[in-house]
Amino acid sequence: MAQSSPLDVLLKGSSGQSTRGLLRIIILVTIAAAAVASRLFSVIRFESIIHEFDPWFNFRATKYLVQNGFYSFWDWFDDRTWHPLGRVTGGTLYPGLMVTSGVIYHILRFLTIPVDIRNVCVLLAPGFSGLTALAMYLLTCEMSTSPSAGLLAAAFMGIAPGYISRSVAGSYDNEAIAIFLLVFTFFLWIKAVKNGSIMWGALTALFYGYMVSAWGGYVFITNLIPLHVFVLLCMGRYSSRVYISYTTWYALGTLGSMQIPFVGFLPIRNSDHMSALGVFGLIQLVAFADFVRGFLPGKQFQKLLTSMILLTVGLGFGGLILLSISGVIAPWSGRFYSLWDTGYAKIHIPIIASVSEHQPTAWPAFFFDLNFLIWLFPAGVFMCFQNLKDEHVFVIIYAVLSSYFAGVMVRLMLTLTPIVCVAAALALSGILDNFLVMTKPNPESRAKATVEDSKSLRPTRDPVVGIYSYFSKTVVTCSISLYLLLFVAHCTWVTSNAYSSPSVVLASRMPDGSQFIIDDYREAYYWLRQNTPDNAKIMSWWDYGYQIGGMADRPTLVDNNTWNNTHIATVGKAMSSREEVSYPILRQHDVDYVLVVFGGLLGYSGDDLNKFLWMVRIAEGIWPDEVKERDFFTARGEYRVDEEATPAMRNSLMYKMSYFNYQSLFPTGQAVDRVRGTSVPADSPQLNTLEEAFTSENWIIRIYKVKDLDNFGRDHNNAVAFDKGLKRKRASKKKGPRVLRTE
Amino acid sequence: MRFFTATVLGLLAPSLAAATNLTTLSRLTLPSDFKPAQVFKNTNLVRNINLEKSYVRETVNVVVENVDTQPQSDYYIPFPADVIDRVGGFEVRDKKATGKGRFEVSAVEVISSGNQYFLVHFPEPLAPKSQITLGISYSVLSSLSPLPATIGQNDKQYLTHSFSAYILSAYQTITQKTKLKFPTTDVPDYTTTDGLKSGADPERKGATYTYGPYDTAKVALGTEYPITVRYEFTNPVISISLLERDLEVSQWGGNLATEERYWLRNNASQLTNQFSRVEWTFSSYQKAPTSALRELTYPLLPGSVDAYFVDDIGNVSTSRYRPGTAKTGANLELKPRYPIFGGWNYSFKVGWSNDLSAFLRKVAGTDSYVLKVPFFQGPKMAEGIQYERVVVRVILPEGAHNVRFETVEGASSNGLPGANHIHASLSSLKTYMDTLGRTTLTLEVNSLTDEARDAQLVVTYDHTLIDILRKPLTMFAGLLTVFVGIWFIGNIDVSIKKR
Repeated sequence: MAQSSPLDVLLKGSSGQSTRGLLRIIILVTIAAAAVASRLFSVIRFESIIHEFDPWFNFRATKYLVQNGFYSFWDWFDDRTWHPLGRVTGGTLYPGLMVTSGVIYHILRFLTIPVDIRNVCVLLAPGFSGLTALAMYLLTCEMSTSPSAGLLAAAFMGIAPGYISRSVAGSYDNEAIAIFLLVFTFFLWIKAVKNGSIMWGALTALFYGYMVSAWGGYVFITNLIPLHVFVLLCMGRYSSRVYISYTTWYALGTLGSMQIPFVGFLPIRNSDHMSALGVFGLIQLVAFADFVRGFLPGKQFQKLLTSMILLTVGLGFGGLILLSISGVIAPWSGRFYSLWDTGYAKIHIPIIASVSEHQPTAWPAFFFDLNFLIWLFPAGVFMCFQNLKDEHVFVIIYAVLSSYFAGVMVRLMLTLTPIVCVAAALALSGILDNFLVMTKPNPESRAKATVEDSKSLRPTRDPVVGIYSYFSKTVVTCSISLYLLLFVAHCTWVTSNAYSSPSVVLASRMPDGSQFIIDDYREAYYWLRQNTPDNAKIMSWWDYGYQIGGMADRPTLVDNNTWNNTHIATVGKAMSSREEVSYPILRQHDVDYVLVVFGGLLGYSGDDLNKFLWMVRIAEGIWPDEVKERDFFTARGEYRVDEEATPAMRNSLMYKMSYFNYQSLFPTGQAVDRVRGTSVPADSPQLNTLEEAFTSENWIIRIYKVKDLDNFGRDHNNAVAFDKGLKRKRASKKKGPRVLRTE
Repeated sequence: MRFFTATVLGLLAPSLAAATNLTTLSRLTLPSDFKPAQVFKNTNLVRNINLEKSYVRETVNVVVENVDTQPQSDYYIPFPADVIDRVGGFEVRDKKATGKGRFEVSAVEVISSGNQYFLVHFPEPLAPKSQITLGISYSVLSSLSPLPATIGQNDKQYLTHSFSAYILSAYQTITQKTKLKFPTTDVPDYTTTDGLKSGADPERKGATYTYGPYDTAKVALGTEYPITVRYEFTNPVISISLLERDLEVSQWGGNLATEERYWLRNNASQLTNQFSRVEWTFSSYQKAPTSALRELTYPLLPGSVDAYFVDDIGNVSTSRYRPGTAKTGANLELKPRYPIFGGWNYSFKVGWSNDLSAFLRKVAGTDSYVLKVPFFQGPKMAEGIQYERVVVRVILPEGAHNVRFETVEGASSNGLPGANHIHASLSSLKTYMDTLGRTTLTLEVNSLTDEARDAQLVVTYDHTLIDILRKPLTMFAGLLTVFVGIWFIGNIDVSIKKR
C-alpha cells in the first residue's frame, strides 16, 4: 500500500509500540479515574462522611493512631467500649487499614497539605479501587495474550457493583484496601509461579502479610494458594518453579502474618490454616521424590514412593487428630462452619445470623451485582480449560471456590467479583479479537493456493477458516457494544441507588422535589456529645455501639465488635425484660442513658422493635428460663405491638421506651405506628425507672436517662405513684403471704 | 487615632521579631493599700443600665471637676475584683467632643484588694477648678442570673440583676442617679429604697425605672446600697466561651476565606424536667417565646460565597444560606441540630469566602498592602450575644513582613476595648506547601459583646515580588528534585547477573 495515513506512523513499527503503550497508560488512568469518580455519589449528594457502622470504629481507631502514635495504638486498651470490661483494641483488630490511612495522612502533613484525617478515610476506598483496577489489569494480562483482556478486566473491576458495594467513598472498612491486596497478591503469585523466582515469591509474601494485617478474609488466600499448588501436584505438574514460589511464599508469608497480634500463632494452631502447612510438607516430599527419582531405577522408586505416601499420610492424619483432640490446634471457627451449613448459624450462633450480610445470597443478587459479567463468567472459565496452563488452573479453582462461597454469604460476593471480571474479560476479549479484526485473506495468495492444491478435493482447497463477513462482524460487535453500554448504565444506576447512602443520614424528597435530609442520628449523638458528662455510659443495642463511640464519643456497653456474646445477651435481657428486672441490670452496669431507635413516626423500618426478636433470641441463649421468645408472640403466633400485644411484649423495656409518650402526638386513640402499620394502644406505657431525656426531631432516636435511686429509699414504682398523687397501695395487705383458707 | 507599630519583620525570623514589640496589655501593678488620691470630684453622675440584652450594658455620664491645685490627668474608675474581668468594651470619651475619639485607658492591678481600677488618661491635663464631662460605657458579662434557676419547658424566664444604688467611684460624688431599662414591663420584683430620697424610689415609667437622684456629698466613699431587680426575659442567654476567627488572605487566589469556631452555651434557666419533644413540637408550631435557642441568623457581607456550617461530626443539614442581593448582603440561617436549652452546649464552625479585591488595596508605588476586614462579625440576635474570649487570626500571605494593625474608631463606640486591651502577637503558620510559613497576626480580646459586630480592622503589610514568586519556584525546584532523583535511581544497575 503506497498511501500511508498519519495514523500508520503512530500505529506501526517501533513508534507504534510506544504509541500503544502510551494509549494503554492513558486508558488505564482513565479507568482508574472512572473507578474513583463512580464512588463519589455519596460525597456529592450528601457530604464527606463516614458511612454505616463498622467504618465509624475504623475511623475512631485511625484518629487514635494519628493522635497517639503507632506504639500506643498497638497497645491500645479501650476502656470506652464494652463497659465495664473494656477491649484490648490494639490486639483485636486488623491494623492495616488504619496504618495505611495514617501513613497517607502523615505524608500529606509532611508536604504541609492540610488534609483532615476524615477526608483521608472517606476517600481511601475510592483511591484504592483505582489501584485495584490497575492490579486487575496486571493479573489478567498474565492470563491472556490478548491485548484487550487486561484493559477490559480493569474496566469491569473499576465499575462492577459487587465491588463498589464495599468501596464507595465513606465506606471506610477493611475491604476498602483488602480487595486491592487480594488481587495484587494473586498477580504476584501467578508471576512467581510463572517465573519460579524467589523475588516474586517474596513479594507475594510481602503483600500477603499486608493483606493479613488488613482483613480477616486473608484466610481465602491462605487456602487458595495451597489448593492451587495441590491441584498442580495432582495434575503431575510439579516443577521447580512451583516449589520455589510456594516455599518462599509460605515461609515468609507465615512469618509475616504472625507479626499481627490479632493473628499471632493462629497460622500454626488453627485448622483454617492447616491446608497451607500440609501442602508445604507435601511439596517437600514431592521435591524429595523428584530428586530421588533421578538416582533410582523405576521399580524401586515406585515401592519407595508408595510406602512414603502411606507413612506420611498416616502420620500426618494421626498427628492432626491428636493435636485437635488435645486442643493444640483450635477447632474450626463458627463462621467457618456456617460457610458449609447455612443453617448452622441460625441454630448455634444467633449473633452471626442476625447480621444481614451473613445471609445466603439470593439469586437475583448475582445479576444485580455483576450484570452481564455473570453469564460471561462460565464462558471465560471454559476458555481457561482450552488453554490449560498453571495460571489458568488457578483461575478455575478460584472461580469454583468463590462461586460457592458467594452463594453462601452475601458478603462474599466481594471475593467472587475479581475472578468474574477476569473470566468475563477473557471471554469478551476472545470474541472481540475475532470479530473486530477487519482484515480478509488476501485474494492473491488465495488464488495461488488454489493453483497449487488443484488436485485435492474442493472443500480442502480453501484452507482459510474464519469469520470474514462484515455482516456478522457488525452484528456481533454491535450487540457486544450494546451489552457493554447497558453494563455501564446498570453499574451507575446500582451505585447511585443502592450503594451510595451513608445510612447515618437519610434522604427524602420534599413535595417540590428538593432534597430533605433526615439527620436524627447525628442530632441525638451530638446532643449526647455536648450535653452529657464525658464518661456517661450509654446502653443501646450493639448495632449503634460504634456510632456512639465515633459520633457521641461516649462509653458504650456493647458494640459491633460482638466479641462477648454474654455481654450482648445481658443488654438483650435488659431490653426485653420488665422494668423491675432491667433496672438492677442497668444499675450494675453503671448505665446513665439508654438509647433506642424508633421508626414508628417516620416509617423507618430499621428500628429496634424490628430487631427486637434478635435481642430476645440472643438473651434467651444465655437465660433460657427468664427470656422466652414464645412470650413475645401472640397465641396465634403473631408478632404484634398493638392492643393485642402479649404482656411480655408490653412490659418489656424496649416496647415501653419506644412508645413512651408517643400517643400524645396524635388525637386520642389515633396513634399509628407507620413501620408496622398498626394502631398503638391509646395509653402511653408507664416508665418508672427511666425518664425521657431526649428525642430527636423525627423520633428516630430516643434517649432515656436512668433514674438515680429514690431519695427516700422507695422503689420507683411507689415514688412515681406518689408524685402522681395516687393513693399508696396497701402493700401490707396485698403482699402478705398467702394463707390457705381452711374454713 | 493611635497607630500601632507592630513589628518590623525580618524575612528569616518572623516569629522572633514578632514576640518582642507586639505584645501589649501591660498591667500596672500597685500595692494592696493603694487608694487613688482625692484630686477629683464627681459633680453629677447619671448611670444608665440597659437590661434589654442578655448582658448588662452600662453608660455612665459624669461631670468631673479638678479639686486639686495641680492640673490632673489620671482618673481612676474602680470595679470589684470579680467583675473587672467581665467588663467588656470599656471606653471613655469626652462627652462634649465625642468625635475626638476615646481616651487612653490602662488597667491597674492592685494586689489582693477588693477593688481593681481602670486608669483613664486625659489627653490634656484638667486644670484646677475646671470641669470635664466623661462618657463611660462598658458592658458586664455573665452578671445576670435566672431565678428560678430551673423552669418548665414552656414557662416564662426571669432574670435578676443586682447592683448598688450608690455607684462605686474612687471620688466623692455630689449627686447621682441610676436609670434602668427593662426589656418588658413585666418586672415582678424590685427593691424599693427607704430613706435615701424623698418620694417614691424608684420612679417607674413603662419599662424604665429610675433610682435617685441621691445627694451623696456626705456619704462615705465605698458605701453600698444593694438593689436587686427581677424581670421577665424569655429569651436565650447566649454566651460564647471562645470564638476563634480565622481570616486567610490568599493573594494568588484573590480570596479572603473566613472561618469561625464557636463554643456556645445557653446560660438561661435549666429545665426542671427533661426535654420533652412533644411539648417542643407543639410550642414550635405556636412560635411561643422560649428560653431555648432555636436559630441563629448570621448576616454576611454582600458577595460572600461557599458558606458552610459544620460541627464535630459533619455538616449541619438544617442550615440554610441565602445569598441575597448586592445591597442586602447574604444571610446564613444557622439552625443547630437540636434546640439549645438552658445549660446546654453547642459548638460549631462556620465559614465562607469573599473576593479579596473588596478588602485589599495595594499602596501605589510600594510593596505595601492595606487590608481592611471586619474585626468581628458573629450572629445577629435581638437578645444579644456575649463573648468571653475572642481570638482573631489574620493569616497573611507567606513572606508578609512589617505588619501593623489598627482598629477603626468612629464618633461612637465600636464595641471594642482600647488598642492596649487587645493582645496582639505574630507567628507563622505552615500550610499548603509553605516553606517559610505564613505570617499570622493573632489578636485576642476578652469579654466582648455583639456590639462589636461592625468593628473594622486595618492591617498593613509589605509583600515583595520575591515573596509572591517563592511558592511557584519552590514547587518547581521540588518537582525537579523528584524527577532527577527518580531518573538517577532508575539508572542504577542493581542486578546480580554477570555483566
